Amino acid sequence: CHTSGMLTPNRKEYAQKIPREELTHLILKLLQAWKEPLSHFNQHIEHHQELPDDSLSKAKQISNMVHELKTGVEKMQSMGIISNSLNGMTSSEAAGLSISNEANMMSDSDFIHCFRRDSNKVQSYLKILKCRIMPENSC
Amino acid sequence: MKQKLRSSVQIILLFALTAVGLTGQSYPGKPKIIRCRSLEKETFSCWWKPGSDGGLPTNYTLFYSKDSEEKIYECPDYGMSGPNSCYFDKNHTNAWTTYNITVMATNEIGSNSSDPQYVDVTSIVQPDAPVNLSLETKTSASTTYLWAKWSSPPLADVTSNSHVYHYELRLKPEEKEEWETVSVGVQTQYKVNRLQAGVKYVVQVRCMLDIGEWSEWSSERHIHIPNGESPPEKPTIIKCRSPEKETFTCWWKPGSDGGHRTNYTLLYSKEGEERVYECPDYKTAGPNSCYFDKKHTSFWTIYNITVKATNEIGSNVSDPLYVDVTYIVQTDPPVNVTLELKKTVNRKPYLVLTWSPPPLADVRSGWLTLDYELRLKPEEAEEWETIFVGQQTHYKMFSLNPGKKYIVQIHCKPDHHGSWSEWSLEKDIQIPTDFRIKDMVVWIIVGVLSSLICLVMSWTMVLKGYRMIAFILPPVPGPKIKGIDTHLLETGKSEELLSALGCHGFPPTSDCEELLIEYLEVEDSEDQQLMPSHDSGHPSKNTKIIAKETDSDSGRGSCDSPSLLSEKCRESRAILSTLQTQDIRDAQENNGGRHCETHCIASEQKIILFNNESTKSSTWPAAQLPDNQPPMFAYHSTVDAHKITPCTVNVNIAPVLAENEEKHQPQCPIMETVHDNMEKQREMENLYSKTDQSTVQVKQNRPNDKSPFLKPKLMDYVEVHKVRQDKEPAVLLKHKENSGKTEKYTVPGTSKEYTKVSTVVDHNILVLMPDSRIQHISASQEPAMETPQNLQQGQAEKNMSYCLTVPSECKRETSASEYMDPSSFIPAFK
Repeated sequence: CHTSGMLTPNRKEYAQKIPREELTHLILKLLQAWKEPLSHFNQHIEHHQELPDDSLSKAKQISNMVHELKTGVEKMQSMGIISNSLNGMTSSEAAGLSISNEANMMSDSDFIHCFRRDSNKVQSYLKILKCRIMPENSC
Repeated sequence: MKQKLRSSVQIILLFALTAVGLTGQSYPGKPKIIRCRSLEKETFSCWWKPGSDGGLPTNYTLFYSKDSEEKIYECPDYGMSGPNSCYFDKNHTNAWTTYNITVMATNEIGSNSSDPQYVDVTSIVQPDAPVNLSLETKTSASTTYLWAKWSSPPLADVTSNSHVYHYELRLKPEEKEEWETVSVGVQTQYKVNRLQAGVKYVVQVRCMLDIGEWSEWSSERHIHIPNGESPPEKPTIIKCRSPEKETFTCWWKPGSDGGHRTNYTLLYSKEGEERVYECPDYKTAGPNSCYFDKKHTSFWTIYNITVKATNEIGSNVSDPLYVDVTYIVQTDPPVNVTLELKKTVNRKPYLVLTWSPPPLADVRSGWLTLDYELRLKPEEAEEWETIFVGQQTHYKMFSLNPGKKYIVQIHCKPDHHGSWSEWSLEKDIQIPTDFRIKDMVVWIIVGVLSSLICLVMSWTMVLKGYRMIAFILPPVPGPKIKGIDTHLLETGKSEELLSALGCHGFPPTSDCEELLIEYLEVEDSEDQQLMPSHDSGHPSKNTKIIAKETDSDSGRGSCDSPSLLSEKCRESRAILSTLQTQDIRDAQENNGGRHCETHCIASEQKIILFNNESTKSSTWPAAQLPDNQPPMFAYHSTVDAHKITPCTVNVNIAPVLAENEEKHQPQCPIMETVHDNMEKQREMENLYSKTDQSTVQVKQNRPNDKSPFLKPKLMDYVEVHKVRQDKEPAVLLKHKENSGKTEKYTVPGTSKEYTKVSTVVDHNILVLMPDSRIQHISASQEPAMETPQNLQQGQAEKNMSYCLTVPSECKRETSASEYMDPSSFIPAFK
């Protein structure tokens, strides 16, 4: 996966130890890293006639969701919800761009596999973040 | 000659053969029953081989009979065991009978049947071979055993599993030819000891029931017996699981160990790394397992796990398993499941469930998020109702039935990847029945209201029951017959009635009130229908009699001219509804013949009397006076005359009614009697005066109606007063005493006496001639004209009565009543 190079906590302890801001940064980085490949992927599968229409619409939906998620997290970050201090947005975008080129060379199954994993990562990190920030809600 | 015969036969054969050859069609060849076999003693099948089909489509039918019974049955199921087979199911199979089976092949031309096959089910039992033979080698204490396991043969009817099979096992080394057979008994497994190591063996099993034959040998199974020199077999990894998304465990299954101690090692490598690690912990999770603790567990990385089996000779490596721990999470079930009943505002109970996540799962930190699902059912129900709850750990259930006991279970799953856990332990709760005062009040009110309604209804029924019943079930209307005065009938004034009916003189004089019979007018025309009125004393008898009379045909002795008679009988029957005779009838219980006679006679009479225009009268010489016989009628014996009519055909029936004499003799005797009477009449006539008229002199004394008997008055009996033998011979009849009953017969001239019949008018009116002392008979006509119908009726009745009285006990009756003895009959006029 093109995001394999990113250093992300792969255990619970690490994920709990890492400060929130960093975690958020990571999340954003991940999301950013997938923005480009997803759109590329969508373009790619549009030409695949054998795929049912559901898949095509779902893929579009997913890339929208990723985009919205990123926007939301950025918003939270800028509002200071995540961290107590206002950090400027570290430019995750630059970091994301460099690695996204590799994604274009992946095969479709690898692409989907990598995306699945990374979305799971993002979800887990966000959940940890949530329980750290607001522990009373079902944590 | 012989030669000719022979040659002709040859020619015929030739022709036949040619015909067959030309057309290519013939009757089918003989089928042959190949075999019959039973799998388990309860069903069996037979297969046959068709012969040639003769070029035409051939139908095969299988017939069988049991033991030595005659009855032949046909095959119950043709297709079950395949083509050209017959399957006998449980219902058609008797174990201890011999079946005689034949197969018949039929085509358009002809048929051919096979030789019979005698089949005893018990002798053709042969089960299928056993199945699922599996072989395993086990090594212990440096000896290797072979474990063979198998299953009993499958049966189409799986319900009958009570068959006990005996098994036999045979094995041999692959290269050898000779089998070693071992009897196993009823077990489905066997341990073979004496094996040569390092040799490949072939194993087979077969089975048998307590009767019959051994099955075929099962398919072969090969196994290689490990000797000490072989490396272990390849192990297989079963599964890897993580219970809380922090650690995980892998289990594997070892293969055969090749005769020596085998060591198993689990080796893994991570994604992106080349380094191979060995399992950190073999013990924690049990034998043949590897436990990865927290430190060794990384997520979002793929592990490449293999197991290696090593023994002294060599080693063997299992297939690798690639696993990402994130996706293999399966937790324990939730704990602390509590059920609580609470009540809503409306006092309705609802169930509150709460539970806790499994202890190991770290939900607090958000690392692991679980979805929950619960299921519940009423205690006795079969199916669960599953409800997805989501991530919350509580749930409220509202729509539960009071009084029932519910069972609840919960399980959980990590959201988005992972497997559902096991279900938690069952928890039950009893919903209390809801007893509310309000409900009871409602029921009490309902009960009171319904009882009130019932009371009201019963009250109305009691008070107006009849009307209601009449409203619901209207009474069946009785028949209405036109032309009769029902009141008259009901009042029971017999004389009046009789007079109304025109019957005269029938009821005997004096003490004959009870003998009054009501007559039904028998009429030609349709509208003469009278409702019969029953004499008070003997309604039943009368009806009975009449009923009997309706049957005119059956063996009525001399009631012949059957067709006509029957016609007439029918007619009169139709008209006559209930004719009641009095004691006469009672006294003389009518036998059938009598009835018949009576009826016939009566009908005849009537017909004669009233229907003389019709052809019926043609049969009767009724209106016609017989030439040979003077129409003498004992006045009592209209019946006689009636009877005479069929018998003699020469009797003028009509004016016979003077008195119902008890001519209870059978018809012909009656005839005779009448004949006698007629003779007497004749004699008398001769005595008194010979008249050209062959009319019978009927003297009839009707107390109430002195018209000729045709008059529709009650017939009355008159006693002979005396026989006059003066110049006008006559039989004087006593005047009826109880004349009050019937209408007084008014005669012009008080002392008129009608001595003789002058003429018969219209075949139904008797004109009586008055005495010389009396005026002529205009009066006599009157009654005739007055109510001819009545007369006729009366006549009919009289006839009837006569009829009835005639049979058998006439003599008796004669003595008993005031009937005129025909022998002593002398026409007398009063």
